[in-house]
Amino acid sequence: MEFLSSDNVGVLDLATGEVSEDELAEDLVAEKIGGAAINAYLYEQHQDADPVVLGSGLLTGTLVPGTSLGLMSAKSPLTGALCHVPIVQYAGMELKYSGFDYLVLRGKAPEPSLVWIHDGIADVEPAGDLWGQDVWQTVDAIRSNMGDEMIQVLAVGPAAERGSSLAAVMNNFWPGADRFALGKALAERNIKAIAIRGMGLLEVAEDEDFVERCVELLAKVKEGAWAGKQGFADLAEAMGRPEAGGWLQPLIHRSRASFNVPFAYNSFAMIEGDPSVLTEPDIDEPGVLVSDPLGAMALQELGLGAAEAAGLLRDCAKDGLDAANLAALCQAQGKTDAAAISAALADIDGEVAAPSGPFSPWAPAQPLLADFGESGDAWWQRRQAVAYIMGLDPIFALMSPELSEEVLVEMAALGTELDITAETLDQAVSSLLG
Amino acid sequence: MGVKIDPLKCNACMACELACGYHRDDAFALLSSCVVLYRAKDRKDYYGVMLKEEESLIIARPEGLEVNRIGAVDEGSSDKGDASAKPMLLREACDLCDDRDDGPLCQQMCPVGAIYQD
Amino acid sequence: MDLYQPYTARNHGLALVPEPGDRAGGLAPWSGHPRIAVYTGGGSSHSWLWLVEIFERLGFWDLVFADEIDVARGALDQVQVLAVSGGDTFGMARALGPRGAAGLESFLRAGGLYLGSCAGAYLPLNSSKEPLNLFNWVPAKITNLSRHLPRARQMPQKFCTPYGCSYVFHPVREETVLEPTGLAPFGVGQSLRAPLYGGPAMIASGEVEVLATYQGFSERTRFLVDPELARQTLLGRAAVIRSRLGRGCLYLFGPHFEHPGYAEANRLVAEAIYHDLARTGWPGRQAAAAEVPRPLEPGVLRDLRRQVSNARVVALGLEDHPARWRIGRKLYEPAKFRVFCEALWQRLRSRRGALPLAGDPEAVEALTAAWRAIAEGLRALKRELALEQDTQARAEALFSAINRATADFMDIYFRNAYRRLTAPAPFRPDPAPGRRLPTGDRQRRQA
Repeated sequence: MEFLSSDNVGVLDLATGEVSEDELAEDLVAEKIGGAAINAYLYEQHQDADPVVLGSGLLTGTLVPGTSLGLMSAKSPLTGALCHVPIVQYAGMELKYSGFDYLVLRGKAPEPSLVWIHDGIADVEPAGDLWGQDVWQTVDAIRSNMGDEMIQVLAVGPAAERGSSLAAVMNNFWPGADRFALGKALAERNIKAIAIRGMGLLEVAEDEDFVERCVELLAKVKEGAWAGKQGFADLAEAMGRPEAGGWLQPLIHRSRASFNVPFAYNSFAMIEGDPSVLTEPDIDEPGVLVSDPLGAMALQELGLGAAEAAGLLRDCAKDGLDAANLAALCQAQGKTDAAAISAALADIDGEVAAPSGPFSPWAPAQPLLADFGESGDAWWQRRQAVAYIMGLDPIFALMSPELSEEVLVEMAALGTELDITAETLDQAVSSLLG
Repeated sequence: MGVKIDPLKCNACMACELACGYHRDDAFALLSSCVVLYRAKDRKDYYGVMLKEEESLIIARPEGLEVNRIGAVDEGSSDKGDASAKPMLLREACDLCDDRDDGPLCQQMCPVGAIYQD
Repeated sequence: MDLYQPYTARNHGLALVPEPGDRAGGLAPWSGHPRIAVYTGGGSSHSWLWLVEIFERLGFWDLVFADEIDVARGALDQVQVLAVSGGDTFGMARALGPRGAAGLESFLRAGGLYLGSCAGAYLPLNSSKEPLNLFNWVPAKITNLSRHLPRARQMPQKFCTPYGCSYVFHPVREETVLEPTGLAPFGVGQSLRAPLYGGPAMIASGEVEVLATYQGFSERTRFLVDPELARQTLLGRAAVIRSRLGRGCLYLFGPHFEHPGYAEANRLVAEAIYHDLARTGWPGRQAAAAEVPRPLEPGVLRDLRRQVSNARVVALGLEDHPARWRIGRKLYEPAKFRVFCEALWQRLRSRRGALPLAGDPEAVEALTAAWRAIAEGLRALKRELALEQDTQARAEALFSAINRATADFMDIYFRNAYRRLTAPAPFRPDPAPGRRLPTGDRQRRQA
């Protein structure tokens, strides 16, 4: 596979550390396009080893607006079925440039381990010293040991180590998009963290035409209703939850985007310090990035104050807990005291509602700031499937009708010179939705 | 005349960096860009943008713009050697995408207007 | 048009079938693929990697890499050409010392060819200063020397270097426009461009030939002194000279003709090699019987790639760090680590096809160990910088180690490249180039 690809599919045996590599077949891309569809294909190929598959969308890491997405696919401890968890912020892009289009992790490591991915190398390294560390300590240690703060770390925390059904994969210091307890799944395989650094290059067929189309697309996208808006408050308002926006707004410091995503939906809640001061804080841990908006809203629904909720979000991020599922469990168990919840994090566990499909309900189940002409669960599932295949950020996908299936197919074909059509996409979507 | 960066508008999406990488490599990549998002202190929600120009390294961060003359020796420094070194040595200085009729690609690809020219 | 292709074709052909040489003067001509030593020892900066880059593009693949110890041990007996790029001239002279100077002189008198640019050009110019006076082989004066330092317009730390009671000053940096004088091998041609990073402008005397002069400046020229003074100092002065020593010959380039961004200048480096080696009568090395490279176990190469990539990760993370270290007369910044790492990675990026390194697993394993130590050293350096500790000693050791390990890698890499070139056809696979890397070299611009 020459274009939009590293032409490399790796299979890493966690037990032995051995890696086998193969080219990414053009036929496979012409049939499945990429992202979750190829992850699912590889999952089936290696199902005997209960694999975890890492991959990225065909357009991930390109100038097509919003194309930030990486994916972790595995059997969910919650559903018992294959699920796809978005790898967001910068980590999806780093994965795309890491020298692997897809990496299959087979089996189980014999001891607590770190999977270290860079330049087409995938290593299993002992991480016994990280086991027992919280997520933030883990990220700090890995970046310090490996010598670069740009390294993206998908880590699990103590929650995963104790086998909690709330254990989620974190995205560096912050919540990711895992509603499927894949944190627990990684810990069961003795994987403490997956560290990624992307330093490669993606060739593009018809590169000048491709980039000019990206310029045109962004110009169109910028005419969308999201323009001029940003952050948690505007997202909450778009969801019809303005009270949640107003609730957290006094703490908001800055809002920032995932890679190449025009709308910055990640808002930093400053717990200690003045949120209006933008200079570098003296405090090392001044707050928490609200990168899981629905998780924050769930804590608001629990009746917590904004500062209490932000503090709890930070505790969850360190412990590697899914805040949305935690809130749901607390709601069910009648726990509404933030300090008590925080003190008892290690003891809170139980059955949580499993997502109904293969895609993470981390992304709101509705169009946002845009009219797609339709809505509802079937629409959302399809839109997510398209995003997961192409590499489009799952939240931005809900606010960018300009990035239609037709447009994404056009860009996929233009960037690869493959015969990718609406029918191809239709079949790839069907392969995910069944 | 160069590109200007408004650090308070920047949303850290890195589209500028990718656009510049394309300009340098005719492919998508980030390692040759002369505009780079500084994202090493994400735990503090602190970020900014660095721009390498011919004679300066511009650092746009919330406190304001910092202009570092490339190769300049600090006042009072005992280093009086012939400094052949440069920061970001392997990255070419901004050329305003001089082969593009529409001007700098980073400016065009910034979704929030944080990059502009006077 | 690919200016390198004809040279590549010719050099690869020469590796298999030597051409008849020029018998003018009654000397036995050299007629094969030259073996070239690139100086990587004390005083050299990373710019020797430019030589590697252009020699590879031009198809001169019989490269060896020599430091001052190799020179003292007679490494030049085995080569036809010595190429010395930029750096610290005093540092080079000190490192080479009397033994190195004697080895170099003997090499030249026997018919060797010396290509020096920038610091490598200053080195053999006549000088009264120790230890430069060990290398007094070319009677030419430099014009960018002054007892009274002119005022610097910019980059005051770059525009001069103390030279006894005087100063060598650098009137401009970056691109200069040069005019060939008509003498072979440059001939009469259009003006060309090459960057100047502190190299000399010269006035030749005696039998020294001027091959090109400084003709002017371009929009990319940066004036470090008053432009009028820059014109007086440079224009019309010699930019490239050729001088004889015994049966040998020296080419001294003020500007960096070996800079990979200047193909036309690179081409003239090749012309210089062809022109003089065909005439100097260097006896030449008997071509070794072609060895068929033994493929390495994939794991051996992967181990090396792993360690180089680990170093590359840290080097990239260090490239904007404001630290600086004074080593010899030069200031070094962390960004230079990346230069070495990228030079290796460019040649290691292929995961498939014929391996870029073959036949010598022990040497590759030693190299892997060296790069493992470099990666660990860089990580430790990064941690110490974060703690604001004194890193001078570690940085010095690391620059030395990375320079040496890069040279060792290139030695193995080109030994294999040349072996592949001269191996019997069935055993002559081309290495798979691998995926392109971010280098900033645009395809269209190169085309």
